[in-house]
Amino acid sequence: MSIAMTCMIRRGFFTLDVDLAVGDGSVLVVTGENGSGKTTTLDLVAGLVACGEGRIEIDGVAVDDSSMGRFVQPEHRNVATVFQGGGLFPHLSVADNVTFGRGRALRGGADYDRVVEEFDLGSLLSRRPGELSGGQRQRVSLARAFLSPSRVLLLDEPTTFLDTDSRDAVRELMSRNFATYPGVVVLVTHDDAEATMFATHTARVEVDAARTRARLQVRDDRVAG
Amino acid sequence: MTRRLSSPRGLAALALPAIVLVVLPVVAIVWRTPWSGFWASISSDASRTAVWLSLRTSLVTTALALVFGSPLAWLLAHSRFRGRSLLRALCILPMVLPPVVGGVALLFAFGRRGLVGGLLDDWFGIQLAFSETAAVMAQFFVAAPFFVVVMEAAFEQLDPRLVGTARTFGAGPWQALLRVTLPLVAPSLAAGLVLTWARALGEFGATITFAGNTAGRTQTIPLAVYSALESGGDSALALSMLMVGVSVIVLVALRGRWVGALRRSGA
Repeated sequence: MSIAMTCMIRRGFFTLDVDLAVGDGSVLVVTGENGSGKTTTLDLVAGLVACGEGRIEIDGVAVDDSSMGRFVQPEHRNVATVFQGGGLFPHLSVADNVTFGRGRALRGGADYDRVVEEFDLGSLLSRRPGELSGGQRQRVSLARAFLSPSRVLLLDEPTTFLDTDSRDAVRELMSRNFATYPGVVVLVTHDDAEATMFATHTARVEVDAARTRARLQVRDDRVAG
Repeated sequence: MTRRLSSPRGLAALALPAIVLVVLPVVAIVWRTPWSGFWASISSDASRTAVWLSLRTSLVTTALALVFGSPLAWLLAHSRFRGRSLLRALCILPMVLPPVVGGVALLFAFGRRGLVGGLLDDWFGIQLAFSETAAVMAQFFVAAPFFVVVMEAAFEQLDPRLVGTARTFGAGPWQALLRVTLPLVAPSLAAGLVLTWARALGEFGATITFAGNTAGRTQTIPLAVYSALESGGDSALALSMLMVGVSVIVLVALRGRWVGALRRSGA
């Protein structure tokens, strides 16, 4: 399992360059100032936006290639996401959120039971996201991501708006599950503590003085880019 | 001395003329409606014909707004193409355009000597003007923009991250639309439909210009009121009272009782 990407994307007067290669079992922690392109980097991998120029490979398969005109839709990339605020569907119950996209068939299965127990969702299953605290929402979001059979896990500031207690709980859950996750984890955060806590690789998005160009570079020698 | 934050003295007095002008006429209709003969007026042949025609045309208009207005609203909210602002402006123009002018516009587009109407007549022998279809078209022209505006706002306020999340968790574009986007805009959809239906039901200017005032074919309730008033019949008041009643119901619905209930039931 790996991600290899060399990708340039323009947003108005702003250009983001991403050059990264990370392999099996990596946890890449990405930091950088607001508006530097951290979230855009996740969107590129997930397939929510396309590279202006460049190529993205997941497990050696091109999912985005500007020169070949190739773009694999997000639903075919086997990517799981935990977007800012949790990205929970407000009209669905916690149970329906956790199994979204994989149907009710999943419910009652061993994986589902394990995740519900580990993320302590038992008493929340019939509630809507609007009735949950920030920490509970983030647990649901993480549970959904880990239950999904994915090759890449993308997390966008999963602990930013949490109080100290729920932050510790969420970190504890991430720590345990990152260790057993078979694919690549990309974690965007503002918190340097999380880099030391989780990272096998760290990278900072560097923005030039004129604020027109940002660059993210990570090279894992085990992966041929 | 009153113990609260003072407000501008005399402001309420200035509001009084507005209240009189807006509220009094409706009170007058309720006051003068011949309640004893109300049912007889409403169920006279002429009134019944107008009521059924109005129901039929306004519901067809609302359905057409749903089917064709939603995609238009989605395009205006989400796609970036040249001339989008111009298209939006043109699409909501009927909201500020005098309906009579709308009728004239329809006449010169779809009338027998109109831009498209001429061709329709020459090639297929189809004449749209002064038919029930024309009444629907007039209502659509005037009412559909309300639906488009409401839905465009709803689509725009929707968090795009939610659709993105749905896609990464395996939903295709149509599945994301049906399982995430539509349920989330459902309250706006309901409100937009009610608003559009009410506007279609009350349409007068464009209808009388483009569809005419033929009983049983294009004479909807507002046109029947107008005709009855001219001939001095009682049914003008009764039909007006009916419309007041419908409008009150619509207002209550829009105030969130029904629409809010829909939202709570997770529709």
